[in-house]
Amino acid sequence: MSIAETSETTLRVERLIPSPPEVLFAFWTDPAQLIRWWAPEGYEASVHSLDTRPGGGWRITLHRPDGSVLAMSGIYRIVEPPHRLAFTWAWEDDNGARRHETEVTVKFEATPGGTRLALLQQRFESKQARDNHNAGWSACFDRIAKIAA
Amino acid sequence: MATPRAPQLDDLFSALADPTRRAIVERLLTVGELSVGDVAVPFAISTPAISRHLQVLERAGLIERRIERQWRFVRVRTDALAPVESWLSRQKRHWTAALDRLEILAAAQTPEKQKS
Repeated sequence: MSIAETSETTLRVERLIPSPPEVLFAFWTDPAQLIRWWAPEGYEASVHSLDTRPGGGWRITLHRPDGSVLAMSGIYRIVEPPHRLAFTWAWEDDNGARRHETEVTVKFEATPGGTRLALLQQRFESKQARDNHNAGWSACFDRIAKIAA
Repeated sequence: MATPRAPQLDDLFSALADPTRRAIVERLLTVGELSVGDVAVPFAISTPAISRHLQVLERAGLIERRIERQWRFVRVRTDALAPVESWLSRQKRHWTAALDRLEILAAAQTPEKQKS
C-alpha cells in the first residue's frame, strides 16, 4: 500500500498485550471468542457469518436491550494465522445496504512479553478505489488538514 | 461507538476518488482561490466536464463558490476535513475499548508461564 501511515485518512491503534499471538488471533477468528469482546458496553454481539478465508464473508450484528440492531459486514482479504488478518468493513443501513467501506488490517507480532497488536483502518470505497489511489491522495489530505487546522 | 451513518463521508471520499478532482483540490490548496475558468486551464477536458467535477466537490463540502460581479470563484472549504477527523476519533474510541475487553479476556486464557 502506498498510502502514508501519517495520512489523515488512516487510523492506527497499537497495543502490547501479554498473551501469545495464537490466543489473540483466535479471539478475532473464532465466533464464540469474538462475541465476548466485539460489542461495546450496552450491546450484545451476534455472529451471522465468519468465513475466515480470503474472499470469505463476515457479518456481525449488535443488539441493544431496546431491540435496536446495528449490523456490520465485510470480506476477508488476508488470513495468515496467527500473524495477519485483513478484511473490509462497512456498517449497514436499516435496509441492509452496506455504507462506506473501509479496510482493516490487524497484525499480531510476537514479542518476548506477548504480542504487539497493530490495527490499521483505512477509508476507501472499495478495493478498486484503494488501488486507484496514488500517493497524491495522502499529500492532498495532509494539506487539507493543514489549512483546516 | 462509531455511528453507522455517515453520508457526508461517503460524499467526501467518493468525490476524492477521482484523480481530476483530487488535482483540482490540490491546486486550489496551493493557490487559494481560482475563477472557474482558470480551474479548467491545466486540464485537457471540456469546461462542462470541469463544471461537473466542481459540482461533485461542492456537494461533498470540499469546495465553496463565491460570485463577484460576472466572475465565479472556487476555493477549498476550511472545514472540509472535519467529518473525517470526527469519524476517525469515534472509530479510535471504538477500537480502544474493544481491545481493552480483548486484553482482559485473553489474559484469562494465557498460561502463567507465557506471561511476562
